[in-house]
Amino acid sequence: MAPLIAVEEVDKTFESGAHGVRALDRVSFDIEEGSFVSLVGPSGCGKSTLLKIISGLIPASRGAVRVGGRLVDGPLANVGMVFQAPVLLKWRTVAENVMLPVEFAGRNPRDYEDKARSLLALVGLEDFYDEAPYRLSGGMQQRVSLCRALVTDPGILLMDEPFGALDAMTREELDLELLRIWGEKKMTVVFVTHNIQEAVLLSDTVVVMSARPGRVLERLPIALERPRTIEMTSGAEFGRYGLVIRAMLGRSAANPPVKLSA
Amino acid sequence: MKLSLKDIAEPVLFFLALLVVWEVLVKFARVPSFILPPPKDLYHAFTAKFFILGHHSLITFAEAVGGFALSLVLGVAFAIAVVYSRHLHNTIYPLIVILYAMPKSAFAPLMVIWIGYGLFSKIAIAFLVAFFPIVVNTVVGLKEVEPELIDLARINRGSAWGVFKKIRLPNALPYLFAGVKVALVLSVTGAIVAEFVAANEGLGYLVLQANYSLDTAFALVILLILALLSLLLFAVVEMLQRKWIPWSAEVRQIEGSF
Ligand SMILES: Nc1ncnc2c1ncn2[C@@H]1O[C@H](COP(=O)(O)OP(=O)(O)O)[C@@H](O)[C@H]1O
Ligand SMILES: [Mg+2]
Repeated sequence: MAPLIAVEEVDKTFESGAHGVRALDRVSFDIEEGSFVSLVGPSGCGKSTLLKIISGLIPASRGAVRVGGRLVDGPLANVGMVFQAPVLLKWRTVAENVMLPVEFAGRNPRDYEDKARSLLALVGLEDFYDEAPYRLSGGMQQRVSLCRALVTDPGILLMDEPFGALDAMTREELDLELLRIWGEKKMTVVFVTHNIQEAVLLSDTVVVMSARPGRVLERLPIALERPRTIEMTSGAEFGRYGLVIRAMLGRSAANPPVKLSA
Repeated sequence: MKLSLKDIAEPVLFFLALLVVWEVLVKFARVPSFILPPPKDLYHAFTAKFFILGHHSLITFAEAVGGFALSLVLGVAFAIAVVYSRHLHNTIYPLIVILYAMPKSAFAPLMVIWIGYGLFSKIAIAFLVAFFPIVVNTVVGLKEVEPELIDLARINRGSAWGVFKKIRLPNALPYLFAGVKVALVLSVTGAIVAEFVAANEGLGYLVLQANYSLDTAFALVILLILALLSLLLFAVVEMLQRKWIPWSAEVRQIEGSF
């Protein structure tokens, strides 16, 4: 079966200042439809940039991204996005925030009311439908943000360190919630994190990236059985995956690639 | 914050004490009343000239609010134009910045030449001083939008109009209100300064008349009325802000408690 998303030799250099910043270095990997893929790598290695290129929000300098066999040359439809900050609109209720993509897409919000309601119920926020978002905790706000990303039923969910700003316990809760929703909806998830444990817990495949300019060090399949549980994180197999990824990241930091001349 | 009885009693007592000290000091030090009249004289001046004060207050109020209203409409329109048009941003905006650097009140004599002696030259000055805080704040509010929201709009094929209506404009409202508060106080000052230059009515004119006749008590009463006028306008804006965009205050509170 052909992969849903194919990242082919993607290079990205930001033209800023006297010399450009090279963010990505010939990045290639495939993502199967319905799979859960994490990108891990040190801060500044181009994870967010790669996510934006996949979504078509910014172009690659070289190389290409194909989704469903078609070249990505502009913002993809059929994509949901979750960011590190919830970025909810303060002047809207929770439900109205969830509706935002529907309105932008020019669809009738009426048709999506049940959908929004069931999504909010799915993350345990059914009682906060008409609440102002700033009255919710950080974890609850991020749940709303997830509902907003899912309201149009996207085939692809792009998440950029979505739980990175939350405390460890809330993060774990949301990780499991995300797995449950993913199991139900069967969308393809690309999940950026710099938390190795989180990447192993969630993913079918972990793409390990080097420090800037980001290269793919390894595509590591995680063979842990599903459904994943928190208990697994203390198991030996889980620990081994963590060590392998950590070792790869450490090696890359010890031997940085030759710098481009300025 | 809940006000306790003490929070109300304290300022009241303080101001009463201030009045008593003022009255007593002026009496015992034999300060001539054209230098500093006792509070009693202020009270007499106020009651004796109540209707004159009322008439001239209305004039100044009309000038200030007229100039402010004009600055609000044109300022917001101009801010939107500058944010959306690179050309305007490159041409008219620098011009506005140069104007901003000039002392606007120095335009008052010119306004008399250009517009005349009447109400409109005062409205023009009030407008001029109120315009900049409105523009600057609105521009910032329209621009300071989380880039993720713009990404979200692009992914969902949102129109520029949709981004403006659903994101930029509401986002600018708290900034606009901040600008409005500054602009209102400035527009009162602008109207007064314009009246200083050339006028035959309004509180600025009245204060000059009081000065010429060394009626210091009356001059001080006028200043107090001006303070009240500004505070009143400020309070109205605060109230509207709380009513129309409760989330702007709430958000600040929440952020402040972290
Ligand atoms: N719009 C931009 N202009 C210039 N440089 C950028 C831009 N976006 C990102 N970069 C640079 O590209 C590199 C990768 O950034 P990013 O993709 O945000 O990394 P990550 O998400 O892995 O932390 C960084 O060095 C960053 O400074
Ligand atoms: Mg990032």
